[in-house]
Amino acid sequence: MLNRRLITAVASASALALLLTGCSAEAQRGWLPGEPGITNHTDRITGLWTTSWIVLLVVGAIAWGLMAWAIIVYRRRKGETAMPQQLRYNMPIETLFTVVPLILVVGFFAFTARDMAAIEAEFDEPDVTIEAIGKQWSWDFNYVDSNVYETGIQAQYDGTTETGNFDDLPTLYLPVGQKVQIDLMARDVIHSFWVVEFLYKKDMFPGRTNHMYFIPEKEGTYVGKCAELCGEFHSMMLFNVEVVSEAEYEAQMAALAAKGQVGKLGVELDRNQNLPGNNPEIRG
Amino acid sequence: MATITEPRSTSGFSSAPKKTKGQVIVDWITTTDHKKIGYLYLITTFIWFLIGGLMALVIRAQLALPGLEIVQTKEQYNQLFTMHGTIMLLLFATPLFAGFANVIMPVQIGAPDVAFPRLNALSYWIFTFGGLIAVAGFFTPQGAASFGWFAYAPLSNTTFSPGIGGDLWVFGLAMGGFGTILGAVNFITTILVMRAPGMTMWRMPIFSWNTLVTSILVIMCFPPLAAALFALGADRRFGAHIFDPENGGALLWQHLFWFFGHPEVYIIALPFFGIVSEIFPVFSRKPIFGYKTLVYATIAIAALSMTVWAHHMYVTGQVLLPFFAFTTMLIAVPTGVKIFNWIGTMWRGSITFETPMLWSLGFLVTFVFGGLTGVILASPALDFHLSDSYFVVAHFHYVVFGTVVFAMFAGFYFWWPKFTGKMLNERLGKIHFWVLFVGFHTTFLVQHWLGVMGMPRRYATYLPEDGFTWMNTLSSFGSIILAASMLPFFWNVWVTTRRGVKTELKDPWGYGRSLEWATESPIPRHNFHSIPRIRSESPAFDMNHPEYASPEAKQAVKEGAGVS
Repeated sequence: MLNRRLITAVASASALALLLTGCSAEAQRGWLPGEPGITNHTDRITGLWTTSWIVLLVVGAIAWGLMAWAIIVYRRRKGETAMPQQLRYNMPIETLFTVVPLILVVGFFAFTARDMAAIEAEFDEPDVTIEAIGKQWSWDFNYVDSNVYETGIQAQYDGTTETGNFDDLPTLYLPVGQKVQIDLMARDVIHSFWVVEFLYKKDMFPGRTNHMYFIPEKEGTYVGKCAELCGEFHSMMLFNVEVVSEAEYEAQMAALAAKGQVGKLGVELDRNQNLPGNNPEIRG
Repeated sequence: MATITEPRSTSGFSSAPKKTKGQVIVDWITTTDHKKIGYLYLITTFIWFLIGGLMALVIRAQLALPGLEIVQTKEQYNQLFTMHGTIMLLLFATPLFAGFANVIMPVQIGAPDVAFPRLNALSYWIFTFGGLIAVAGFFTPQGAASFGWFAYAPLSNTTFSPGIGGDLWVFGLAMGGFGTILGAVNFITTILVMRAPGMTMWRMPIFSWNTLVTSILVIMCFPPLAAALFALGADRRFGAHIFDPENGGALLWQHLFWFFGHPEVYIIALPFFGIVSEIFPVFSRKPIFGYKTLVYATIAIAALSMTVWAHHMYVTGQVLLPFFAFTTMLIAVPTGVKIFNWIGTMWRGSITFETPMLWSLGFLVTFVFGGLTGVILASPALDFHLSDSYFVVAHFHYVVFGTVVFAMFAGFYFWWPKFTGKMLNERLGKIHFWVLFVGFHTTFLVQHWLGVMGMPRRYATYLPEDGFTWMNTLSSFGSIILAASMLPFFWNVWVTTRRGVKTELKDPWGYGRSLEWATESPIPRHNFHSIPRIRSESPAFDMNHPEYASPEAKQAVKEGAGVS
């Protein structure tokens, strides 16, 4: 039986390897969006994702294989009247299927711990610090170092046009190859800051600041979304991310300053100041 | 076998003389019989299942193509998925456990009823009215609650969700929760003090064991939910400031909610693991493989489930990631043990594929995949991308639908003769299974890819440029197949009730193991006219197949104890 299990495992592993090497680039990345090297973290995440899936699918193939084997081989034949042996337990096998998953889990945890420590590691001195503030149902971006800001409104997509109007969406500009720290805040309810191709999101909490740290490594336009239910127009709370060269980044900062968007949009705009009882002189 | 001698009764539940309609109604609403209360639970939860399912169909219609406006406003869409989740989790799956436990558990342990029959009736009526209140928001001008079934603060306060629907949701669920708590107290007491002579803890059927463990989970995690809901209600109605973000209330709510919410997942899983654990041995003609490891695995899952709640909160940036990642991954071990125990039960057995077995196998195939994606989500490094995406939606439908719905139908087909004295039609049951199986996987498998590619959950629509269109269309198409699978079931229940032949057998499946197969079908008012000797976890099997009985039972016979 062990032999059979081994054969199943080897067969499914090689079938998978064949599948993965023979397949499209998307399949090789496990259908994660984007392409290799978008931030300093994405390749690490992609690696953990694909190896985890290979191991898990081998485990799954063993389980499904054993089920299929039992269903086919141990089915009751027509006219059969005998009873099978009334086996009640088998300690060695039971120990085996307790200990082996335990080892797998500890291994998986080790790789997870390594990768999440790397992803969550702070920069001592970030090159760029940006405040991203979620609000119902769009985003404000304060470029702290450049002392300019951008403010957005929700997507104006009503389903009548062929495509959404992306020009209306706020755009977050990031300089390529620089250490970026984003401080995440919210003005009203909880939002979640998700740049899809960065393979990372983090919640924006009212009354608290979260952080994310990364280096964007590939110029391009990426998709940003709110990922935490925040009210009626949650699905319209979209933004763009432009990773650009240093020069373009500076030009964009200058453009914002030229539009008069100097300074930053601070906590004075938070709606939570009007929570009941928060402001007795207003609410009584 | 005996021929039919007694007159056919119309109700199917008793052979008493025919009653008037009014008498029947009064009889049902004043009943304290654990079986009738169980049937009330089963019927009520099944109605909620259908209502929640209809909401899901509207949700899938809205998402079939980008930019649709099947529902008039996105607010209505939010109400639909909020109430879909609320109904399926708290008004369908959780009380469905109470339904099965009520009907089956006392019979399995050889008790005449539960410990507190009137409390049992009270629990049912509290649940029923609590549920009606929670959903009544649909009949108010601003509609039902729309802040998601986990009601994150501050979105759930009156500033952002002013409607009365939110208040009804909060207080209705708080009320209904007490029904669940009282039911659990009843089950625990019954199992501890009302087992028949010879029914030791280590001879209890797995389903009864899982009822006990589930009930213990209920009394640990439903009171915190009740407290949290009352606090939220106080915020909403009386201007308390418990969940104000200034005090860290936004995070406090998440901790309280998920401290309930994660064990809740196991509250709705463990009883259904119990159901399939009853079915695999019967149709494999073998005892459950590794009875004790299975019980210990259940206890381990329950214990671990109390320590993993913050894995729903990885992306809040405010929880200790390594601790919750490790405990979450550890749950995979006892869960894997269970899966291999079920496979071990079939191994070298003599397997037939009657409908209950078919549904149990459908559960096993589906649940394994839900388990695998669960391991993936346990890793914060991967969850940062997947959290709040359709990958999570797909994962929990594989786990919860795979467990609750598949095992529910397994239990219906398995115990229908015990409920009504009649067997459901096998052929229709198999059609039902295959249509549902294909519909389910068509609907939910593709959602894994949607999530990975970047579709967030709870989005009322999406853009053509997102590239999600064909997958969503496929998923919506699958949901129609899934819904259509209910038709053969309704037809089956109808024809069985009208034309089904009464089974005169105590054990119509032929290889039943636990005590419910040692009493009449349907189960008589006080459950047993006689109880066989209980010398193992399979007393009915020991009695009917003495040559294959457990070693303890054979030993007892040899010593001249005889069979009563």
